[in-house]
Amino acid sequence: MSLSKRTMTLNLTDAEMSALEQLSAQKDISKTAVLRQALRLYQLVDARVARGEKLMFENEAKSEKAELMML
Amino acid sequence: MSVTVSPVYLLDVGSNSAVEAELRDAIEEQQLADWEALWMPSLIDAIKRLHAAGVPRSKWPQSRHWIWRDKLQAIEQLLAHKTFSIVCRGETQGLMVVNLTKTARHQEQRGKPLAYVEYLENAPWNRPDLFTPPRYRGVGSLLIRAAIALSEDEEFKGRIGLHSLPQADRFYAEKCGMTDLGPDGGYQNLHYFEMTPEQAKAFVENGEG
Repeated sequence: MSLSKRTMTLNLTDAEMSALEQLSAQKDISKTAVLRQALRLYQLVDARVARGEKLMFENEAKSEKAELMML
Repeated sequence: MSVTVSPVYLLDVGSNSAVEAELRDAIEEQQLADWEALWMPSLIDAIKRLHAAGVPRSKWPQSRHWIWRDKLQAIEQLLAHKTFSIVCRGETQGLMVVNLTKTARHQEQRGKPLAYVEYLENAPWNRPDLFTPPRYRGVGSLLIRAAIALSEDEEFKGRIGLHSLPQADRFYAEKCGMTDLGPDGGYQNLHYFEMTPEQAKAFVENGEG
């Protein structure tokens, strides 16, 4: 089931690398897997926003809703 | 996109013998055509029999409103979703869509990524609640194994999750050994099930299919 994969070099700032390492530890996946997840989510959100949908964050406890603007 | 085809085995209930089938990591036009030309007429026949027998609508197949062509169109080209199908003797026996952007709710796994089974359906003739005897057994288990394998490939350790239609609750709880996290008010009150890495390992080692 595994597909062939291609390699790229990624240049990150210290802060970006630190955030990537933190997510990798929290999610218990490699840094590559974090970036693959990020790409999936970004593509999904971008496609839905392009269809006219909105991305919302909701805090049920505070009855708050906020729309996330995509650039 | 190339499709990986893996050999798997189903139980032919009529002859009580194993029969070779294909697990395909895609749902292609042939599967959608099978759904339209073979599954739908079979499903309608089954519903007619249930109706004639006075079975209430609440007991009819709860996936009967699923339109697979629309579901596939909605996720076309998206990296977030993977699709699978099982084909046996030239006919599609099962279909599944998996979403890779969800995270676990189980207390011990909370926030960690999992493979979320968005849709899983068995061909009508394989459903013991619709056909006696059903034609093949093992389709659901094989698809759950495929979801676990995908989860492992993605470094999710075999974690999977899904919302179950009530008619399938027992299958996921008893046969798959998943944890029932109860009805989800945000999802039509369907029960939400998860499989931890340990449960996934146990299912793969001991489960059917």
